[in-house]
Amino acid sequence: MTSDHDVIIVGTGLAGGILAGVLAEGGRRVLLLERGRALADSAIPGDHLRNHRLTLYGDNTTPEPARHPRVFIDAAGDPHTVLPHDARYQLNAFTVGGGARVWGMQAWRFHSDDFRMATRYGVPDGSSLADWPIGYADLAPFYERAEHEIGVAGDHAGTTHAPRARDFPLPPVPRSPSAEWLARGADRLGWRTFTPPLAVNTRPYLGRGACIQCAQCIGFACPTDAKNGSHNTLLPRALASGRCTLVTRAHASRIITDNSGQAIGVEYFAPTTTDSATLERRTARARTIIVSSGAIESARLLLLSASPLQPHGLGNHSDHLGRHVQGHSYPIAYGLLPPDVEPSLLGPGVSVATTQFNHGNPGIIGGAMLANDFVKLPLIFWRQSLPPDTPRWGLANKRAMRDLFRRGIDVRSPVQEIPSPDSRVALDPAVRDTFGLPVARLSGTTHPETVRTAEFMRARAEEWLRASGAERVWSWPVEKKFSAGQHQAGTCRMSADPRDGVTDPFGRVHGHDHLFVCDGSLHVTNGGFNPALTIMALAFRTGEHILASP
Amino acid sequence: MSLTPPQLTALRSLLDRIIPADDFPGALTAGTDTYVLRHLLGDCTEEAHALLLGLTQLDAETVACHGAHQTFATLLPTQQDALLADLAAARPMTPWPPQLPAAPWFHRLVELAHEGFYADPANGGNRDAASWGMLGYAPRTTPERAAP
Repeated sequence: MTSDHDVIIVGTGLAGGILAGVLAEGGRRVLLLERGRALADSAIPGDHLRNHRLTLYGDNTTPEPARHPRVFIDAAGDPHTVLPHDARYQLNAFTVGGGARVWGMQAWRFHSDDFRMATRYGVPDGSSLADWPIGYADLAPFYERAEHEIGVAGDHAGTTHAPRARDFPLPPVPRSPSAEWLARGADRLGWRTFTPPLAVNTRPYLGRGACIQCAQCIGFACPTDAKNGSHNTLLPRALASGRCTLVTRAHASRIITDNSGQAIGVEYFAPTTTDSATLERRTARARTIIVSSGAIESARLLLLSASPLQPHGLGNHSDHLGRHVQGHSYPIAYGLLPPDVEPSLLGPGVSVATTQFNHGNPGIIGGAMLANDFVKLPLIFWRQSLPPDTPRWGLANKRAMRDLFRRGIDVRSPVQEIPSPDSRVALDPAVRDTFGLPVARLSGTTHPETVRTAEFMRARAEEWLRASGAERVWSWPVEKKFSAGQHQAGTCRMSADPRDGVTDPFGRVHGHDHLFVCDGSLHVTNGGFNPALTIMALAFRTGEHILASP
Repeated sequence: MSLTPPQLTALRSLLDRIIPADDFPGALTAGTDTYVLRHLLGDCTEEAHALLLGLTQLDAETVACHGAHQTFATLLPTQQDALLADLAAARPMTPWPPQLPAAPWFHRLVELAHEGFYADPANGGNRDAASWGMLGYAPRTTPERAAP
């Protein structure tokens, strides 16, 4: 077992890349393990049938998808073995940089009440709603750091849901005429709107170019490297320090613990040589181990690492590991712009939002931000956005596409979910991956209170479109389903008391001195916002905590 | 897996009604038949067998409705559309195999046709970005400047 490293990080997504940068620049020797490959932007295909926004027959990052199935348990209790492009798999981008290579870049701070949901609303029956052990003030300096070191474009004066000490480093994304039209509609309702924060270079920043507003944004790599994440900021900084070793196609299989139960290393499979198809089993040892593989795979790795002292998995002393899975329930209202509003097909597209309904909705637990959507692919429009009575084929369908494609508009809302302990990641007893390891088994469904909040937000979304003057407005009822997806969170919730969660308030696994989790897994609740900036802020905070720890 | 000549003829005629040409190119002008064929023989081999049987059934359906001298391809467009509308509404004239009900078969081909027609040209069914030109959609991406 080698010990050339101080820290091993499993995963190079937003959190893993940030941790690598903070720790390597802080003098630590870092081994960074990534299951996927290091793909240049040009190597992430612009395929409209196989991308992370529409995964009909595959996606555009995952190598060898058949190696890594998961098992999805449906509402009737029947298991289905699913591959990465199947919606039931819950969408992970397996490449250096993770989902941020292809993300939509919304970079929100949570609301202060998002950290104290149980205190504010009480705990509904059947839910595991709880407060975070930290509050907004604990994260604020790290939110600010993420905004500046990753690069977030936003409207400082308009973004008032969370107190801000410092302006964004980049001016907000430009507003399309349809976003201005929505803003006028909100004015009529007395709702305050602003341009939402996006991690995109609206002008050259940190040595890279500006967004060219192409129309192939979310789900795809950026043609000008203006889509910001850890892959083009902190990770290159880590590598430039000379203290970070990145191993790609490295599949962590187990956290190694010693006789006292403490984590001392990681077992993984990696290519015998850089481009070899043959993988060999390796072990690496380090003082600090950080699991940063997303809420599904992080929980799975801790479960796979069960030992005689911790037979149910590391950090599973109080049966929280893998439970409380959350993403966001996403009600959408669709409409048609009146013909006199100038259409726009420029990216990224999300450029008007309101936080009017994140909290304080009578009789409702929590709420959500509302915003317009990203620029849409023609095929996605055909599948999702035509009015419901449009014929699905023939000349009538073709004419509807021609007449309505540029007039489609939708408003959507990442509704804060009410966690349930029965929505969970476990190890499947039957299905194994290519290394013979049990795969993640996903089961459970939405808590009824989430449906109530989502229905409330669906009504607000419709109300916004109507007040704006949409010619038609329609939407679909919210369904109960297992929810994780691109915003997956909650499986290793942090807690002050070891009885209430998996990690301490810094992400250190309870009972372990040097084993950390850092990604959306830590989120006790997932906010009424896209969660990426919170994941990044936690990574900066955990990184600094590790540097300052004896 | 391969198509018989009658199946191929039926497929082309079917696609021509699912996305007809008007002032703008339809499925056949855009090469959507190429996409669907490539797809049946590639990504979709599991469902290809049933989809091809459906093409044969489409001709049987035509005979049941219009007589033995007709195939789907020889019908007038209005007759073709009326027949397809009946299939879409799960009202076939002939017994379709239980594992291949008419409406899901037709809807799957509708889906495949539109996938090819509206996807990026590299997928083969949207030659010269014909559908994107009709919609006014252009990705406007430029070559990357730097790899991460």
